[in-house]
Amino acid sequence: MRKLQIKDTNILLAATALAAIASLPAVAQVQRTPIPEQPSLAPQIEIDGSGIATGEGRFPANPLPGGGKVSAARINFSDSSLVIGASQELYRNGGIGSLVLGVTTSDNSLNSSGTGLFLHQAYLDYSTKPFEAVLGRTDVPTQIVTFPTLRGDDLVEFTGVVNPFSIGDNVQEYRYSNQVALTFNKGLRYFLNVHAQHLIDSTGSGGDQTGINSYGITFTYQGVPVLANMERVPEWGFGVEEQEIAGSSGGADTALYGGVVYNIKTDPIDRFDVRFQDTYTTGNTLKAFTSVADSYRAAANSAAMSFRYLHSPFGRPAYQVALTLGLRTYQNVPNSSTFAIALTGIKRLGEGFDLVAQYTYQHHASTSAALFGGQDNNAVQIGFAYTFTDTFNRHIAPRRSLLSLQHQYIPE
Amino acid sequence: MGNNSGLSRRSVLSSLLAGGTATVLGVATADKSANALSNYTSESKVHANWSIPFDPAATRPHWYPRDLPTPGEVIHEYNMEVLLTPHEILPLVQFPAYAYNGIVPGPELRVTEGDWIKVNLLNKTHDFHTIHWHGLEVECEMDGVPFGTQYPVGYNQTFQYLFRAQPAGTHFYHCHQMTNLHVQAGLYGVIIVESPDDPVRKQFPYTRDYTLVLSEVDTNFVEEQINSMQLMGAQMDYMSRSPTMMAKMSGEMMGWFASKDAFMAAIKSGWIPPYVSSMAGKFRQIQPNFFMINGKSYPMTEHISIRSGELIRVRLVGAGMMPHFMHLHGHDFWHVCQDGAPLQNPVRLNTVPVFPGTTSDIIIEGTNPGNWHFHDHSDLCLTNNGASPGGMMTMLMYEDAAAAGFKFNEIITLNS
Repeated sequence: MRKLQIKDTNILLAATALAAIASLPAVAQVQRTPIPEQPSLAPQIEIDGSGIATGEGRFPANPLPGGGKVSAARINFSDSSLVIGASQELYRNGGIGSLVLGVTTSDNSLNSSGTGLFLHQAYLDYSTKPFEAVLGRTDVPTQIVTFPTLRGDDLVEFTGVVNPFSIGDNVQEYRYSNQVALTFNKGLRYFLNVHAQHLIDSTGSGGDQTGINSYGITFTYQGVPVLANMERVPEWGFGVEEQEIAGSSGGADTALYGGVVYNIKTDPIDRFDVRFQDTYTTGNTLKAFTSVADSYRAAANSAAMSFRYLHSPFGRPAYQVALTLGLRTYQNVPNSSTFAIALTGIKRLGEGFDLVAQYTYQHHASTSAALFGGQDNNAVQIGFAYTFTDTFNRHIAPRRSLLSLQHQYIPE
Repeated sequence: MGNNSGLSRRSVLSSLLAGGTATVLGVATADKSANALSNYTSESKVHANWSIPFDPAATRPHWYPRDLPTPGEVIHEYNMEVLLTPHEILPLVQFPAYAYNGIVPGPELRVTEGDWIKVNLLNKTHDFHTIHWHGLEVECEMDGVPFGTQYPVGYNQTFQYLFRAQPAGTHFYHCHQMTNLHVQAGLYGVIIVESPDDPVRKQFPYTRDYTLVLSEVDTNFVEEQINSMQLMGAQMDYMSRSPTMMAKMSGEMMGWFASKDAFMAAIKSGWIPPYVSSMAGKFRQIQPNFFMINGKSYPMTEHISIRSGELIRVRLVGAGMMPHFMHLHGHDFWHVCQDGAPLQNPVRLNTVPVFPGTTSDIIIEGTNPGNWHFHDHSDLCLTNNGASPGGMMTMLMYEDAAAAGFKFNEIITLNS
């Protein structure tokens, strides 16, 4: 689910930024604001980071979708990110203005190092109590449920609406988009998101490679975060997305999607939940795959489900075990379905620092197997993950603090 | 600020045990139409025969604190609800406050020494609270210390305090649960125990009586911490709906232990205390950004009125966590009481230190017509969120200043 607060990023950006600041002359030449004579306030600064590094073994060693090849064994530090945000209160009515910038490491096989940087957050945000406007690049608004795999891009073709304009080389192109989004809320629990996106078009299969190529509406419910392990249904949502795919690539596609998180066992110490999301696309007339990209825009149904057990003695997470299943079938392309499983374990070693491990298996039916490097793919990963967040010059309360949720205070 | 703004806004019930006349006393004997001089005179109303000899028994309670009321004794009954409510310090500046009866400071209570006080505390917040009667000689179970003398009062729970009002003087009350947060958040108020033999009234026949509660708040800290408390409270409320979930509640989850041995056993079982670095990181300093008199910062503080020749009593209460040094321009004054008790000799000052947890009563004589600043001389506390002037400042304003020839009108400045 999309959150207001900044998330994900890369330490390189911070180091580069700090080095740049250190080298500034005494009178820095900065970008002028539209009203340059107005001095700016010292904003609230938030830095969020997440790093994940795993030793990874794949068998058999298969080529990546879209080219390149994954080694049988490698060090994988993709999906690590650093985000820097600045916020300040606006003059009246509790309005908050924010700027967020961030990069994430991507598993881009075209990069000679095997890992590239991807600008995944670059947006401005204006929010008041009942309303939020986002303009820039950020998480796609079509992601309803977050699944408990190690990385956000694991099993991504099952867990959300894929990007039909992506060549398939960089899964970050599924997760982030350029967008204008307006989100209205009721009680900061029910959210109606109306958005138009430019999904990154690396295939040229959109009508316009830089313009709006996808738009839709998403409705979600998000319960009180602290009660996520106690409410029976802490999250659910659904939406519809219209994707303007060029006629030469099978034509426009309509995606209908919905998801839910359901607590099988509501318990502050031993939580057991199931997560489910289904995405059904229709309208595209592709009947055969000539490239990996075709599989992203062909009419299909994707379903993902996970079962997760979280043990939190003393009210704090200690370890988590999860099984995630995915199935994707195509309406018009025979013998092309694929399914996957991921078994994930996480042991918390300290606040935000985890020992992580995951086994994944994915099977492709005969028609698509050649495109994806074989029918059966296995991967084993073990490593560490670290997430942190810090706020400087703190003077703005989190938008979805319990004070806001229960008492409807304007963040001040 | 003055006694005329006290009881009328409060939820006060008075009753007599076994019948009798309900009574709530206040020094409110303040007489606005009293014999204030309209012109300066060199004659003072202060009597010169102040004499309070050393009394080795003075610290002993007049009444045994563990007594119970007997028929015929006066009992003043008050209902106090703890609410979570936005409190406005200044226009456009609010913070989420815990407040007794929804106001900061809480209701000012005035009773006669020896009367009984019954307070029905009802907690309407998702946090725990108590009332500690600071400076009063109550029986131990009425002292309001969570896990020390009573269990803290949870959401929608009540607790009844009953004690005899002693000793006489200016005292205050506050929540003793997570004191650094709950007092900053607004849970404090003043209780004045009056004595018919008050030496201050006898020697300084004052005609008006003001109470100035001094406190400060880090609004960011309070908002952050109250939110954390609400999170915990919400979890507990939700768990309380299910016996199965409540069975999971443990001392470790709350950080509550029946003994040091239980605490040590929890650590051995893997529980990590919140103060160690692996859980707390670096402690975030509390940095007060607003400094208040009676819950308001300058220029929204109420001024003090006086007339030429008039004696007024000002009760200064250090309810917060910082010392304040209250300085009055253009006047010396008499420091007459400390922590409720009369000093052996009044002390002539123009700046009186008010430390946390203390009360200081002063007598001001109207000797110099005009409008005079009365403020904390710790200059940090004369700011509003870093902007000066502001903070802990009010004015001593002569009602007959114009008649005395003073023509300068007060101007509110927010940017010096």
